[in-house]
Amino acid sequence: MTAKTLGVLIAAAAVLAAGLPVEAQGPIRIGASMSLTGTYAKLGNYQHEGYKLCAKQANEKGGVLGRKIEFVIYDDQSAPPTAVRLYEKLITEDKVDAVIGPYSSPVTEASANVTEKYKKVMVTPLAATTSIFKRPPDKRRYYIFMVISPSEVYLEGLVDMAAKRGLKTIAIINEDTLFAKAAASGAAELAKKRGMQVVFQEGYPKGNQDFSAILTKIRAANPEVLAASTYFDDAVAITRQMKELNVNPKMYGLTVGGDLPEFYNLLKQNAEYITGATQWEAALPYPGNQEFNEAYKKEFGREPVYHSAAGYAGCVIYLEAVKRAGTLDSDKVREVLLKLEMKTVFGDFKVDQDGFQTAHKMVTTQWQDGKKVIVGSWRRAWLPRGGAPSPADRTRRSPNGERSRGRNVASPAGATPCATRSVAAGPLMNSPG
Amino acid sequence: MLVVALAVYPTFGTGYGVRAMLQIFMWIALAGSWNLISGLTGYVSFGHVAFFGAGAYTGAILISKASWPWLAAALAGGVGACAVALVIGYPCLRLKGPYFAIAMLGLNEVLRALVSYFEGLTGGGSGLSLPTLHATVPIYYAMAGTAATVTLLTYLIITSRFGLRLMTIREDELAAEAMGIDTARHKLYAFLLSAVGPGIAGALAARDQGYIEPISVFPLATTITMIVMVLFGGKGTVWGPVLGAVVLFVSQEFVWARFPYLHQLLFGAIIVAVVLLMPRGVLGLLQVKYRLPRTI
Amino acid sequence: MNIAITPAMVGQVVISGILAGALYAMVALGLALIYGVMRVINIAHGPLLMLGAYTTFFLYSALGLNPYLSVPATMLVLFLVGVGLQRTLVFRVVDAPELSSLLLTFGVSIALVNLAQLAFTSDLRAVEYLTGSFPLGPFAVSKTRLVAFLFAAGVTALAFLFLQRTRLGKAIRATSQHREVAMVCGIDVQRVHLITFGLATALAAAGGALLAVIVAIQPEMGQIWTFKSFLVIVLGGAGNYPGALLGGMLLGLIEQGASLFLTTQLSEVVAYVLLVVVLLVRPTGLLGGRQT
Repeated sequence: MTAKTLGVLIAAAAVLAAGLPVEAQGPIRIGASMSLTGTYAKLGNYQHEGYKLCAKQANEKGGVLGRKIEFVIYDDQSAPPTAVRLYEKLITEDKVDAVIGPYSSPVTEASANVTEKYKKVMVTPLAATTSIFKRPPDKRRYYIFMVISPSEVYLEGLVDMAAKRGLKTIAIINEDTLFAKAAASGAAELAKKRGMQVVFQEGYPKGNQDFSAILTKIRAANPEVLAASTYFDDAVAITRQMKELNVNPKMYGLTVGGDLPEFYNLLKQNAEYITGATQWEAALPYPGNQEFNEAYKKEFGREPVYHSAAGYAGCVIYLEAVKRAGTLDSDKVREVLLKLEMKTVFGDFKVDQDGFQTAHKMVTTQWQDGKKVIVGSWRRAWLPRGGAPSPADRTRRSPNGERSRGRNVASPAGATPCATRSVAAGPLMNSPG
Repeated sequence: MLVVALAVYPTFGTGYGVRAMLQIFMWIALAGSWNLISGLTGYVSFGHVAFFGAGAYTGAILISKASWPWLAAALAGGVGACAVALVIGYPCLRLKGPYFAIAMLGLNEVLRALVSYFEGLTGGGSGLSLPTLHATVPIYYAMAGTAATVTLLTYLIITSRFGLRLMTIREDELAAEAMGIDTARHKLYAFLLSAVGPGIAGALAARDQGYIEPISVFPLATTITMIVMVLFGGKGTVWGPVLGAVVLFVSQEFVWARFPYLHQLLFGAIIVAVVLLMPRGVLGLLQVKYRLPRTI
Repeated sequence: MNIAITPAMVGQVVISGILAGALYAMVALGLALIYGVMRVINIAHGPLLMLGAYTTFFLYSALGLNPYLSVPATMLVLFLVGVGLQRTLVFRVVDAPELSSLLLTFGVSIALVNLAQLAFTSDLRAVEYLTGSFPLGPFAVSKTRLVAFLFAAGVTALAFLFLQRTRLGKAIRATSQHREVAMVCGIDVQRVHLITFGLATALAAAGGALLAVIVAIQPEMGQIWTFKSFLVIVLGGAGNYPGALLGGMLLGLIEQGASLFLTTQLSEVVAYVLLVVVLLVRPTGLLGGRQT
C-alpha cells in the first residue's frame, strides 16, 4: 500500500469518525483503471487525456455541486483481471466518490462485475460490445451506460452504400477478437437483410502477418465487396497483400485502421478509395466540437482521436447527470442517465433501459486523393437480439445522416456521391497488377 | 496464528484486500504446481499456464452452459486440466530438455487457438461471460484451500519415496532408469498432479472474474511469472514457491505499479537477475548455508 | 459458403509458402546456430529480428537508404548487438541447465520489446518500397516477397559457404559437434561463441530488414518468430544446418496449406501437431542423423 492511499484511508476514517457527511467537502474523486501500458496503451492514453481535459474544464467552471473534480487513475496493463482488482481497490480502499469506464470491451466486461456489485454508476465511453449491456434477465446489469455506437454497426456504412449501388456479393473477414467478430456479424446480418449474398466469411487469429491463403480464397469467391473487420496492423497487411495478389473488389472497407491518418501515410496511393469507419471525426459539426479540438491540441500538443472525444464526452455526460440529479447517489444518477438526451462533442447520447446506446451515429470515411472524406453518417440499423426495440429505433438512417452524406472535410467532392466514384474509378478495380 | 488470521481476514478486510489475498493464493497454487513437475523432475514446463486456461474454460463452460455450482465446476476444472495433461504428457514427456520446454510452449498457443476455433462452446475470441455472482469470500476460502493443498502435497511428495525417485530423475534420468525406476510412469504422475492445481485455480479465477477470453487466460507471462516465483523462492523446496509468490506478487502490486511504462523492463531485469545471481533461490541458498533439511 | 479449391489456388498458395519458407529458413538458421554451438534456445531471437526491422526503417526514413541496400548495414549493426549480448549476459548461461538460458533470454526478450516501445513508441511504421506483384500465368508473385526470397536464399547460401569453407566457419561447426575436442584442437571457444551469437543475430536482423518492406513494423512483431524458428529447426533437425532449409520450406507450405484447406486459425495447430509427431517419430528431425 502506498503512503498516499494510506493517508487517504486515514483521512477518510477520520472524517467518518467525526460523524461529518463525507460530501460537501473536498473534491469529487472519480476512479478509473486505464490501459496506460500493454496492448491498448496507445488508445488508452488518448482516452485518459479526454478525461483529464474534461476535469480541467469542469474545474475552471467551478466544479460540480460546488466541488472540484479529481481523477484517481491506475494502470491495468490492458489486462481484464488487473482491472477487476483495481476497481475493487478504487471502491473499497480509495473510497472514490464515483467511477468511470476503462478502455476496451474485454476490460469493461470484466470490470462491470465489480462496479455492479457495489452499485456504482459507470459510464463506459469505450465499450462497444452489445453483450456487455444486452444480457439475459438473470445476468442483467443496472449501472453501466454506453456512449459509443456498438461494434455491429461499424461496417454498416459500407454495406449500405454497396446495397444502394446494386452490388450483390460480399466477402467478410475479421480478426478473431470480441470487437472485430461483432462488427463482422453485424455486417453479415445487414448484408443479408439488404439482399446481398455473403460469399465468404472467415476469421483469422490476432497477430496474423500473412494473409495469402485467405486472400486467395477471396479471389476465388470473387466478391464485389470486401468488408474487413480489422484493428490496424492487419488492415495494413491485408491491403498490401490484396494489391500483391490482385484481389480487386469494387468496394473495400475496413473498420478500425482505415480511418486513421497513419493508414494513408503507410500505404499512400494504395489506400485510395478504401472506406473506414469511425465513431467521431474532428470536422463533424457537433456542438462545441471545434472548441474541443483546439483545447485538446493546446493541452496535449496532438490531435485528438475518437477515443479522446469519447472519453471526454463520457466524463461530460456523467457530470451533467450528477448536476441534474443534484447528488452522487448511484440510483438517482442512474434515473437521470436513463432519461438523459444530450448532444456532446461526440454526438448524440441517449440510452435505452439497459444503458445501451441508441442515438449515437457512426461515420464512414473514404480516402480520396489523399484526403479523408466523410461519405456518410449512419445510425444503427442493427438491433440487438433480446432487447425490446422501440419503433423509433428502427429508423435505418437519421435525417441528419442523410444530410451529412457526401459532406466533405478537406477536398471538394462535388455532387458525385463518393461511393460511385469508388465503383467507377477505384484503382482497386482495374489494378494492372 | 497465521492460519487463523487468514481465515478471519475476509470479515474485516476490504473488498480489494480480499481480492489481493485471493491472488496471492492463486499464485501459490500455480507456482507450487509448477514446482511439482519442473522443480522435482527437472522437466521445464514452459507452458504451464495452459492448464490454468484449460481449467478456466472447463469451469466457465460448465457454469454458463450446464449451470453447475461453482465449487463443482472448480473441481471439474482440475479434472479437465488433468485430462489435457494426460493427452499431452504421454507423448511429450518422452522429449528431453529444451524440446519438452518448447513443446509445452506450443501446447499453450495451440490450446488458445483451439479455444478460439470452437466458438460454439467457448465463445471464441468473444470470450465467455458468466452470470453475476458475488462470492468473492467463498472463493477466497476455496483458493486458500487449493494453495494449502498444493503445498501440503509438495511436502508429502518430497518426503516420500515417490519424491525421491522424481529427484533421481532430475539428477540423472539414465541412472534412475538403470536403478529400475519406471521413469515414464513417475514423470507422468508428477505431470498429472502438477496440472490439477492450476486447473482448479483457473476455474476459481474465472468464476471470480466473471469473464474470460482466450488472450487473458493463456498468457505466456503467467507461466514465466510462476517460474520466476519458484526460482526466487527455491526450486524443489516446499516453501520456496510460497515465499516467491508472496514476495513477487506484493512487490508487483505495490512497487512496479508506480512505474507503468517500465514495468516489462523491470520484470525482464528481475528475471535476468534471479537467473544469474540466485539460481538456487532464497531457500536453496539458506539450505546450503545452514544445512537445513530438504523438507523446508 | 465453402469455396471450391481449384488447382490454381493450390498453386498460388504453394508459391506463397515457398516465398515465406526461405525467410523462415534464414531466420531459423540463426537460432539453429546458437542452439547447435551453445545448446541455448534464444527466446530473444524474434525481438532481435524486430530491432533489425527498426534499423532498416530508420536507415530508410532518416538517411533515405534503399531498404535492400540497408540489409548489410542492418546485419552489421545487429551483429554487434549480438556480440554485446553474448559478452555481457548469455555467456554466463552457456553451460547452465536449459531453464537458465530459456529464462535469461526470455528476460532479455521482454526487456528489448519494452525498450523498443519506449524508444520508438507503439506506432506502426512501414517501409513502402516495392508494391504489387509479377504475374506468372494464373498466379501472382508478390514483388516484395520475391525479392525477400532471393535475398534470404542468397544470405543463407553465403552463410553456408562461410560455415563450409572458412576456418572460422569450420571452427564453429567443430565447436557445435564437440566442444571439448574443439578446445583441444586449439579453437578459442569463447570467441567462436561470440561470433556465432553475432552471426545468428545478423541473420535474424536480415529477416527483420526484409520483413520491414512486407509487414508493418511494431515492437511486438518479433515474438512469433522465435516459435516459428524453433518449429523450423525441429522439423529440419536441430544441429543440422541444411535441415533448416527443408524445415523452413515445410513450415511455409504447411501454414499456407492449412490456411487454405482449413482456416488460418488452425494453421498454428497443424504446425504444432506436426512438430510433436516429428519429435516423437524422428527426434533428430527429418534430416536427422546426418551431421553437417
